[in-house]
Amino acid sequence: MNQKIKLHRFAFPVWAAVLALLMVAGLAAAITVFINGLVVTNLTDLVPWGLWIGIDLSAIALSAGAFTLSAAVYLFGWKQLQPLARTAVFVGFLGYTMAMLCLLMDIGRPDRFWHAIAFWNIHSPLWEVTMCVMFYFTVLLLEVLPIVGEASWFKARWPKLSHRLHGIHKYAPVLAIFGLGFSLLHQSSLGATYGVLKARPIWYKPSLAVLFIVSAVIGGLSLTVLSSKLAALFSERANVRDDILDKVSKVIGWMLFGYLYLRFWDTLGMEYTLEPGRTEGLHILTSGALAFNFWIGELLLGILVPAIILVTAKLRREPRLHLLALVLAVGGLVAYRWDTNIVGQMVAFSYLPTQLEPLYTAYKPALVEVLVGLGVIAYGLLAFTLGVRYLNVVDHSTLPEEVVEPAIMQPAVMPTD
Amino acid sequence: MNNKIGRRDFIKLAAVGTAVTTVTIAAKGNPLPEAEETSPYRWAMVIDQAKCVGCGECSLACQAHNDTRADAPWNRMIELEPLNGEAVYAPVPCMHCENAPCVDICPVGATYHRADGIVMMDYEKCIGCRYCQLACPYGARTFNWDANTAENTAVPEWGEPEIERRPRGVAEKCTFCFHRIDRGLAQGLMPGIDRQATPACVAACPTGARIFGDLNDPNSPVSLALAKYPSVRLRNDLGTNPRVYYLPARREEEVVEEGVS
Ligand code: SF4
Ligand code: SF4
Repeated sequence: MNQKIKLHRFAFPVWAAVLALLMVAGLAAAITVFINGLVVTNLTDLVPWGLWIGIDLSAIALSAGAFTLSAAVYLFGWKQLQPLARTAVFVGFLGYTMAMLCLLMDIGRPDRFWHAIAFWNIHSPLWEVTMCVMFYFTVLLLEVLPIVGEASWFKARWPKLSHRLHGIHKYAPVLAIFGLGFSLLHQSSLGATYGVLKARPIWYKPSLAVLFIVSAVIGGLSLTVLSSKLAALFSERANVRDDILDKVSKVIGWMLFGYLYLRFWDTLGMEYTLEPGRTEGLHILTSGALAFNFWIGELLLGILVPAIILVTAKLRREPRLHLLALVLAVGGLVAYRWDTNIVGQMVAFSYLPTQLEPLYTAYKPALVEVLVGLGVIAYGLLAFTLGVRYLNVVDHSTLPEEVVEPAIMQPAVMPTD
Repeated sequence: MNNKIGRRDFIKLAAVGTAVTTVTIAAKGNPLPEAEETSPYRWAMVIDQAKCVGCGECSLACQAHNDTRADAPWNRMIELEPLNGEAVYAPVPCMHCENAPCVDICPVGATYHRADGIVMMDYEKCIGCRYCQLACPYGARTFNWDANTAENTAVPEWGEPEIERRPRGVAEKCTFCFHRIDRGLAQGLMPGIDRQATPACVAACPTGARIFGDLNDPNSPVSLALAKYPSVRLRNDLGTNPRVYYLPARREEEVVEEGVS
């Protein structure tokens, strides 16, 4: 029942080799940074958070499918989503490792990454994010270990260990609770990390925390469905139940509309505050350097188009459009994170009484930053490919043929189109 | 699939989880380095724009004594719009905000308040995340993008380094020359009055445009200056409560009158 694209037998080795090459290039760039310091990046005292932070934010947000689907399966009892949750957990695990790799590159003293555990500043959103990410990563690890343990080659080799790892799975509901808690906390605190900064008026608003979690759930679900579909298209070892993916996609579509509504009021609200610095920032978004990203990348292609495709059965059931919509939703989230991080740094208000002009800055990532970023992304793609091949992370065949529609699904799905 | 979890297991697990969390939090106690001890002093700086001629000697003294980079000064000299045809300058150090955004948000508490109000940096703790650079409304923080191995061009003409250079990968900023204050107090000197106990920039200013002292003492140089002239603090509308006050550039007569006193 799965469509497959017939691939040349060299397709996999070539794909893997390209990714491996990118990883090597990324590693080389990373070593340059470690040797010379962050001075080799294009980051400055005025724009200290750049591409790597953008990747961090995106990777963490796109991993939100893991906690959402785990909660759906193990707390709300939508059992038929279980294989999808498995994919999401694996993707999430990779996403968090990607984020942590980037973070390690980004901080000036990677040797002190553990300081947040030892020295607490409970007032800092970033401290809270760091702690929650570490706790949640542990949860993800415990959720991924059974997947590794259940792989047939692992079972054949280490039967005892495999049994042990499989045993962790019985704690799935508990892990889902902790996962939900930690994720709700840090996904929104990542927004608050920006939202509490009065020095950057375009960020200074409570809505950022809400928008971050909402967009993360949507982006995370989209990436989970997207990666499942792509795996099923390209790999013999993956198979999906299109009816399940179809249902989840429709939910994503309606969520996108809800999110668009939030974004509308968020943007409109900013227009009327007339705060020095905020107005300039908003203009950068709506008519300045980031206008294309904002209108086209974030709103039109990132929210509206995928929302229409995903809620309309006719469009959604067209496989190419379905894929396109998912890609757009994921891209829209990345654009939102990128713009959010950059826009606050592109304009700094003046603190001097007679100098009313704000200070405008610019940032373009340096080659080393791009190479490290690509390397990290390549690692994620390669690890996912291997997961599909050797860990069966995309496998819906365990489900009973006829899926029973649970009553709880009803209210979440809006009137049919 | 046997992924049932017994109620007992669940309760056990929840209990253990709660216990671990409680113990960790309790063991940590007050996690902030914010000192419990109190200080009789509340240091502040006053910058008199009517007297400042923009010579930049304060910045050079700072560069020498704090061994900063020439291109990342702790004390920035900014030229403002001229007033009555005369140039106006604003030297901008760290404001040592009473409500300091940087202190609030540093994830590891590497920047913190001393009891006397000075906003300090702990270079041993800083992880170099640069969040504080985004949080500071006054652009007071610089980051060590690489190791500073350059020769200090302000040494020895403007003084000798009194503190160690900061390592690569940490943030840094003006400290009100806490080392001079502490050393001076230990010698029985009074910061703001005795040169050796006063921040290097204040001691170096040739026109007396920089004043330092204890806000708690009504007779300290800063208290007297603030009582005499109207003062402004930069962007105090943000609620930061800076400890650096500016006496705005005034008319000729006022300057003369003040020069007499
Ligand atoms: S001026 Fe900036 S660095 Fe100094 S205390 Fe205020 S917020 Fe912190
Ligand atoms: S760069 Fe250092 S001082 Fe600044 S917020 Fe990060 S850890 Fe704290």
